[in-house]
Amino acid sequence: MRLYDIVVNRIREIQELSTDKEPVTNLSASATLAAEITLISTVLIAAIMLRKINDILMIVVVLALFIALIAAMPIMPRLKKEQSDSFNSMIFYVLLALTIIITLFYWGVRNV
Amino acid sequence: MNPLIPIMVILPITCALLLNLIHTKERSVKILAIIVGIALPAIPLLANYGMHYFGGYSPLIDNPQMAQGLPDMITQSALNLYHPAITYSFASAQKIFVFILGLIAFLAIFTSLSEIKKASGVYAFLMFMGTAAVTAILLSDDIFNLYIFFEIAALSQVGIIIASRTEKSYETALKYLFLAAIAAPMLLLGIAFLLGLTGNVNITDIIYAINSGLVDPQNPALLMACGLIFFGWLYGSGLPPFHSIKSAVYSKALPHGAALLQAFSVFTFVGLGIIILRIFSFLPFTQVAIIVVSLLAMVLGITMALMQTDFKRMIGYLAVGELGYIGIGLGLGTALGITAGLFQAVNEAIITAFIFIGFGTILYKTGITDTNKLGGLMVENPKVALLVMLSGFAMAGVPPLNAFQSKLQLVQASITAGLPELGIIMVLLSIVTFMTFMKAFYTIYLRPKPSELEIKNKEIPRATIISLVVLLLICLILGLFPQIVTGQLEQLAQGLI
Amino acid sequence: MIIDIQLASFFTAAALIVLGLFAALFLDNLIKKVIGLAFIGDGVNLFLVTLGFKPGGIVYIFLPGMSADTFAQSASYPLPYAMVLTSIVIGASTLAVMLGIIIMLYKKHGTISSKKILDD
Repeated sequence: MRLYDIVVNRIREIQELSTDKEPVTNLSASATLAAEITLISTVLIAAIMLRKINDILMIVVVLALFIALIAAMPIMPRLKKEQSDSFNSMIFYVLLALTIIITLFYWGVRNV
Repeated sequence: MNPLIPIMVILPITCALLLNLIHTKERSVKILAIIVGIALPAIPLLANYGMHYFGGYSPLIDNPQMAQGLPDMITQSALNLYHPAITYSFASAQKIFVFILGLIAFLAIFTSLSEIKKASGVYAFLMFMGTAAVTAILLSDDIFNLYIFFEIAALSQVGIIIASRTEKSYETALKYLFLAAIAAPMLLLGIAFLLGLTGNVNITDIIYAINSGLVDPQNPALLMACGLIFFGWLYGSGLPPFHSIKSAVYSKALPHGAALLQAFSVFTFVGLGIIILRIFSFLPFTQVAIIVVSLLAMVLGITMALMQTDFKRMIGYLAVGELGYIGIGLGLGTALGITAGLFQAVNEAIITAFIFIGFGTILYKTGITDTNKLGGLMVENPKVALLVMLSGFAMAGVPPLNAFQSKLQLVQASITAGLPELGIIMVLLSIVTFMTFMKAFYTIYLRPKPSELEIKNKEIPRATIISLVVLLLICLILGLFPQIVTGQLEQLAQGLI
Repeated sequence: MIIDIQLASFFTAAALIVLGLFAALFLDNLIKKVIGLAFIGDGVNLFLVTLGFKPGGIVYIFLPGMSADTFAQSASYPLPYAMVLTSIVIGASTLAVMLGIIIMLYKKHGTISSKKILDD
């Protein structure tokens, strides 16, 4: 139970910072933990697909991602805060995505 | 000429306008809505395959009478092949999509008429209008016509949210409309670039112009057009960065409204996605972009679903996450992958409607969506609980239900395409989907009932149960005999590679 | 110095779009946001109209006595104009719905600040 207590405490800390009023129950703690593991493993597996471009690049990126993600844990509460229903953050991400898409399609296709 | 093809779009629009006129007369609203609702899935089954040229203007090459007396610079050039009219094409894949969309629209309207005490003509009007718009998106071979219906679909979605009159529905509707006012002009700008380069808005003609060398495929304006249309597609289907607004939209609508709204998103995804693949298949980067966005949608959608305590929002995020599976199928670019992706689209539209209507019964009985305040509903109505559980099984891909077949095909396709990582991610996220669903199911149905929870003493309408059973039957049939659908979709997939 | 009218028009369209995006992102007043969003649509419409422009061209109406060859060579391209009309109608209806919702929100909250209404 030691590890589980650490997890619950850590989630509670983050939630207090974000002034979230929801209580931390067993269920929400395990859900957060599961989401965390899912996120990290999916990102790492997806990064393996870089092998199509270059093997060494893939190894470096996967290792770097692994260290970065572990160091940044817990990610999920922050990610949830970032994807809130606030219109300002929504429109910011929308315009960011528009810029990235146009840049990638315009320069990426011609130069890569 | 096949008159039934335009009728698929014209009938729901006419019905919508009529409903608006007679919206105070409850009985006539109900009768008209049910009759046209039954006709919606029936027409695509009766219609013959073919093309429909509005105004009867077929291409000059098929119409020698009209070509007479025209100057050589028209009849001797590519103009001879061009489509002067707005063209609708109806083939086997469109048949399946329009049929499923019509069926979901019918079930959603049928359920709404029995769950809402006073039948509102305006609500049904919006549902029919949206269905007509999305049907047109699926059928249209004219990209500007598609844009018009894209906007109409966005407006009717906003209308459905407002008409639901849930808490904060106006705010969500305004946010959605603001984002529409950014994304739709961007889509139009992309179309304008295509028009400027090829002088045409007919998709077949645009492809002809690109493939025959009339336009340089590496022209920067063409690449820009691809990016802009891609952005419009993200908005229409609710992929990241639009996933949070899309899930909010689902959660603010009433359950039957949400069931229809998600079908709109799925079919807009398919309709525009196919067009992007058709026009820009010469850019390998498009497929990479589709896969990246789909992966993002899957990861963000499903992990966010796990974090929610409101069950409507949770299903909303799951619906967005499941879209990623379709995108991966399309992005793989192989015939097997595209067929599997399109099959998954059909399955997802059915299953998510199933889940939304199923969970709608909880809202109907208690009026609460917060899972922290719910519990012990199994005792109330075990049969409905069983149906809801089966809907969750279907979404996670438990055999013998339909998503099992399509997800299996997707995994196979990703392995044959040389990207087994995608297969692993899909299996992993299916497990998490199942876990998310079971978490909600446990809190709502299985754990002891909280003392302060009040359950309203009214029966769940028979129409809701019938809808759930119909959707379950379709899930079972498609799960046992997937070739009914995949056989029809293969032709389209072959044409796309 | 004579500026190419088509080029100038394209630049105006681009400026309108960028201005609209800026307003949508940074302005707090909902009505101002709506005006910005209308700018985006207007910019795209202007772009479409400009596409159909033909230097020295004639109106695309086939007058009696005109030879088909001259008409085909010098008439400007009618498709963008037809499209713009439809697009303006759609834009106007979107605008009307947006303003309608803002009226309802103003009645409910007593403010049209986007930060206070849409920020949760």
